[in-house]
Amino acid sequence: MAQAVPAEQKWWSGGKSPFNVEYGKLMMWYFLMSDAFTFGAFLISYGTIRFATNSWPDPNEVFQSFPGLGNGLPLMFVSLMTFILIISSVTMVLAVQAGHAMDKKSVVRNLVLTIIGGIAFLSCQAWEWAHLHHEGAWWGSNPFLNIDGTKATTNFTNFFFTITGFHGFHVFSGVVINIIMLIMTLNNVFERKGHYLMIEKAGLYWHFVDLVWVFVFTVFYLV
Amino acid sequence: MHQDDNTEITFHHEYDREASKKEVIKITVILSVITLVELALGFWMYLSHGNLGSFMITLIKGVILILMLAKAFYIVAYFMHLKHELKNMIMTIVVPLLLFVWFIIAFLYEGNSYKNLKNTYDPYHKEQSEIKVEKKEQGSKEHDPQAH
Amino acid sequence: MSQEVNLHEHAGAMTTHEVHHDEHHGHHHKETFITKYVFSQDHKMIAKQFLITGIVWAIIGGLFSVLFRLQLGFPNETFPWLENILGKWAAGGKIHPEFYYALTTMHGTVLVFFVLTAGLSGTFSNFLIPLQVGARDMASPFMNMLSYWFFFVASIVMISSLFVQTGPASGGWTVYPPLSALGDASEGSKIGMDLWLIAMALFVVNSLLGSLNYISTILNMRTKGMSMTRMPLTIWALFFTAVLGVLSFPVLLSGFILLLFDRHAGTSFYLSDIFLASTQKALPNEGGSAILYQHLFWFLGHPEVYIIILPTMGLVSDVMSANARKPIFGYMAMVGSMFAIAVLAFLVWAHHMFVTGLNPFLGAFFVLLTLLIAVPSAIKVFNWITTLWRGNLRFTPGMLFSIGFVSLFISGGLTGIFLGNSTLDIHLHDTYFVIAHFHIVMGVSAFFGMFAGLYHWFPKMYGRYMNNTMAYIHFWITLVGAYLIFWPMHYQGLAGVPRRYLDFSGWTSFNQFDGLNRFISIVTMMVFAVQLLFVFNFFYSIFKGRKVRTQNPWGATTLEWTTPINPGHGNWEGEIPEVHRWAYDYGKDGRDFIPQTEPISASESPESKH
Repeated sequence: MAQAVPAEQKWWSGGKSPFNVEYGKLMMWYFLMSDAFTFGAFLISYGTIRFATNSWPDPNEVFQSFPGLGNGLPLMFVSLMTFILIISSVTMVLAVQAGHAMDKKSVVRNLVLTIIGGIAFLSCQAWEWAHLHHEGAWWGSNPFLNIDGTKATTNFTNFFFTITGFHGFHVFSGVVINIIMLIMTLNNVFERKGHYLMIEKAGLYWHFVDLVWVFVFTVFYLV
Repeated sequence: MHQDDNTEITFHHEYDREASKKEVIKITVILSVITLVELALGFWMYLSHGNLGSFMITLIKGVILILMLAKAFYIVAYFMHLKHELKNMIMTIVVPLLLFVWFIIAFLYEGNSYKNLKNTYDPYHKEQSEIKVEKKEQGSKEHDPQAH
Repeated sequence: MSQEVNLHEHAGAMTTHEVHHDEHHGHHHKETFITKYVFSQDHKMIAKQFLITGIVWAIIGGLFSVLFRLQLGFPNETFPWLENILGKWAAGGKIHPEFYYALTTMHGTVLVFFVLTAGLSGTFSNFLIPLQVGARDMASPFMNMLSYWFFFVASIVMISSLFVQTGPASGGWTVYPPLSALGDASEGSKIGMDLWLIAMALFVVNSLLGSLNYISTILNMRTKGMSMTRMPLTIWALFFTAVLGVLSFPVLLSGFILLLFDRHAGTSFYLSDIFLASTQKALPNEGGSAILYQHLFWFLGHPEVYIIILPTMGLVSDVMSANARKPIFGYMAMVGSMFAIAVLAFLVWAHHMFVTGLNPFLGAFFVLLTLLIAVPSAIKVFNWITTLWRGNLRFTPGMLFSIGFVSLFISGGLTGIFLGNSTLDIHLHDTYFVIAHFHIVMGVSAFFGMFAGLYHWFPKMYGRYMNNTMAYIHFWITLVGAYLIFWPMHYQGLAGVPRRYLDFSGWTSFNQFDGLNRFISIVTMMVFAVQLLFVFNFFYSIFKGRKVRTQNPWGATTLEWTTPINPGHGNWEGEIPEVHRWAYDYGKDGRDFIPQTEPISASESPESKH
């Protein structure tokens, strides 16, 4: 039953959500804040160790390959990964918006695109890991020299694999969540409920994964 | 009897789908442009082959970090829709993030101090970290971190 | 955003709750033993599960302290019966040094995390939040149930680590690397350490699931009229506690993940320049920083002490106000100071590291921020004392423990001012002075707050009273005992007696404390025995205690006393009552108390300023 609200709404007086959101969305937001501190702690640890080390490898030397095109192409492959993730975020927004409009067909189309984007990103990451591993890089082993030509500690690869691994794990769970959302949409679960709020929460999670990548991309590949 | 008992009452937002779509396109363009600028800066640093002064490098890296924050802002504000939530909710999410300020300052300061102390009081460490390795062992699969 | 908003009950939120209530309101619905007592989604049952698990842990953790006090008090004697129980860990009736470290480590871990975090805020957040804000249950009862079961699994893993051949973790409850990172470094750094890390990771999940639920319940599920400033202080305290947990536990998790990689993947996040005596080898790990781990650990570790103490501050405020028959003094100042404490909690972590190699210049800032905590703490203490001032005190067991809490919090808090100074810390760090400080200010006083809450809300939990005689014995012996145990430790610490030492016979200068050590150990055993009396009283009263006959036995204003004596799942039988006033209308207009549900009448004096 739709009913007009008084112009002056007292949000905090109890009996309703002070933020005008349902509890699930609130929980998702605060979970993401919590997760931001997990990633924050990883990235800050990376920064701390980097500040504590005399010299550090040059990412342009490390990440310079592109599948099929060979070496000497720094930043190219990671740009591709970044754009894949941005585009998949866009399709996710479109899916959420379609959900608000109760447009099931559009929800399905955009969710499928998002899932494809996620899988594409994971594949890129798998290729990059395999390539680096082939070059001798792994946890506890770093074949790359520092930018000034001195021998590097293993912490460059240690942090790289730990943090991108943790991010990749988030992407993977995001893809799984999106597949579940897709199945639920196809089964008309949300149509019956009368709203697509679940997709909105899955969307928040997915954007967060994109958000973390913005930071990982910058601190590992650019600076 | 349960009608008003424990259900959460929220007020429905009316969406203008067309306007939202336009907004998404706008933000996508902004994010792409920022990323391209970041990449351009990255290439600039790469192609200059160390001809840029250390001040210039720091400056470029600083700009990249600011652009990173800008991207984060656009993603959170528009894709995650936070900008359209009630102001109080925005505050509950943004204010705790301020804890990162001291978190970052203290940790990085500590890391830097650790390096300086070690260089000062462990001359062997400093000496070792200044020895240049003759040849790059690119692509050597059997790499033993102990080998030196 | 469109300005045109419509009142619209989200069908989703409604369906979940609707289903849920139909299920539990209809009395025809039958519950099996499993859904009622084991996988229950009723917040009250989950609270009891947390409580009883916490009690079991407290007995285990307390027993550990009795065992190592036995060693410290009687270092030259042998106890053959110990060998019968502990086997090789007490060969010849003397506690093995490795096992001594395991005991202190597990005592710390168990008491800090499993008892005073999960047992305390798990119990009272679950029990009181829905009852006091006027909700049928938590926002997500299912996640709430999961939260408990993650805690349960964490408990099982932690317990199992006690039974592995190389023993449980023994590097101190802070598990600093490199000791904790290198399996070859000590017995306790082998599989016991892995189990410790796994248990703690599960514990973090439990804490996160719980805290998210507490926060969203408090924000979203308050009943009509229950504005934030009408909430009892308990709810405010539990709210800040949950916020602290959500923001600080993940950092600990990151630190632990890096530690696990150092242990098993050959990384060197925390390792550098190490020569291991046991294997006579220099390790290849280079470039890490052990101080990094300490920063990550204490970024949680410090908020953690507030996660422990804040809930008890809330409980004590409510118990005290109800039993002094006076409004709490300075309600908004109480909320404000709790907020200040919650913020400062995140800014002061490195004061635990003044002498571990932390940059001293950075330390200076941490000194300043640390000493700032004295301000909100003092505000709270003065408000409690002023609440008691000229009150009409009823010395129920809950009230006695509340007053004891304030006493202990003052005594322990004052020594915090000593320890917050990095220069004084050069002398005092790692001595018994530190032990005395944190045991009084967050160990014993948190227990006192917890006991206050338990005695006060036991009638609501089980519909019976606890036995008063046993409660009074429990209170007096615990209070006097706690001071007798920890007060002398300050002098030991000032004299330089280091903590975590098995045997002081090597120092002639510390021989003077032999008698004192024996005295402390004897008192410890007596106090432990009295805790067992409490446990007996608790379980006895569940089944045989005097029955509660009135709905509101303490004459309290808050909402939980408007529910039936034995509330079912859903808490209120009819509609949830509406709230019209704050929670502290005691002794107003000549009336003993006015419940929160009573509308403000025209003749009433204006609402108290708070």
